[in-house]
Amino acid sequence: MTDDEARWIARAGEGDAVAFRRLVEAHSGALYRVCARITGDRAIAEDAVQEAFFNAYRHLRDFDGRAAFSTWLHRIGVNAALEQMRRRGRGEVTLPEGDDDGDPIAAVVETAAGPERHARSAEIRRDVETELARMSALERTAFVLRHHEGQSLEDISATLSMNVGACKQAIFRAVRKLRIALEPLG
Amino acid sequence: MNPISDQDLVLHHYRDGIEPARIAQIDAELARSPELRARREALLRMFAAVDSAPEPTPAADFNGRLWRALEPRLFARIDAAPRESWRTRLRGWFGQPTLAWAAACMIALAVGVGFYAGRRSAPEPDVLAQARADESAMRVLDAYVAAHLRATEGVLLTASNSDSTQLLDGNRELAASLVDANHLYARAAARAGNTQLADFLRQLEPVLMSLANPPASAPIKQNEGLRDYLHSTDLLFQVRATKARLDRSGNRRT
Repeated sequence: MTDDEARWIARAGEGDAVAFRRLVEAHSGALYRVCARITGDRAIAEDAVQEAFFNAYRHLRDFDGRAAFSTWLHRIGVNAALEQMRRRGRGEVTLPEGDDDGDPIAAVVETAAGPERHARSAEIRRDVETELARMSALERTAFVLRHHEGQSLEDISATLSMNVGACKQAIFRAVRKLRIALEPLG
Repeated sequence: MNPISDQDLVLHHYRDGIEPARIAQIDAELARSPELRARREALLRMFAAVDSAPEPTPAADFNGRLWRALEPRLFARIDAAPRESWRTRLRGWFGQPTLAWAAACMIALAVGVGFYAGRRSAPEPDVLAQARADESAMRVLDAYVAAHLRATEGVLLTASNSDSTQLLDGNRELAASLVDANHLYARAAARAGNTQLADFLRQLEPVLMSLANPPASAPIKQNEGLRDYLHSTDLLFQVRATKARLDRSGNRRT
């Protein structure tokens, strides 16, 4: 966190809208990226970003500086994205706790794409997006936070209020589904 | 050594959630086993395909749209900061919240008298005097309705965004105090010939009444219902637009 950012946070906490606008402009792009990856929908992502900043503003005085401001904000953003999806009935957001005893591969094979769909690289990208959209919201969120955002399992589990083991299982399931969808690559 | 699973390879790739000793074992096995290297390469190709998907970028003027949507909500929040309750804010606008109804009555009466006097004060209709009286009455009405809409906007925002029982209780009282005033302003606007404003205020009345008398249970569901209603009807936008229009017309008249 830069000195400027620390100043903006302090001033925004006192109700300075200009300072808060600087924070919005500094972080909106990154926050949009994570929300868009989680929701897979531009409009929902934009709404999630707006809700995230609104909630961040409301709770700015609770920000204690122990984590980076961007980490704190992203945590609010992830939950705003999940909340927006829940409200719009986009994907279930519950995940069974504990180890995955079933055979997730067998479950996914039925819906896996046929080999002819993987002829071109553009289609591979589309398959990735389709497969991400097919995952449960928590699988996708855990994978996005680990793979794209580079967050630790510890941080992800705190954000999603789940234990580290369940968080790992969510990521493993996401990876399995992607591998099956992209099998011809392997 | 335990066999190396794909899950181990995933954790090895991220260097997270895996013991350093296990990482060393996997590294040693990767150096020794072509089969394990092939499995790892397949995993890396899959990750590369995932990374090849274009990075989501917001549509043009995202920051502008975002701020335009956020700003009124933030300003409402600034007004409603914990150091000053909604009841206190209303006190600023109306003296005391319990006097809101009385203030509305006085304004309605003033508007009525203004129009009546303008039309009946001379045996021969004095067009100029009537216009001045109408103008004066409208200015008073505009100013008070603008303040009323500002309070209404705050009530709607708090009701749709707050989960605090204490705040919602205070908000319910405020909504109740606004219902009667809203009714009187609607009548005054209709009497002044401003049917558009009168219709809009009548549209607000059932919303304020439902906020003043919420169901005993499920405040969260009620919040969601209100949020959906506000989204689907653009009511909040209309409140702001009407308030801004009244402010502008008030400035023009002065």
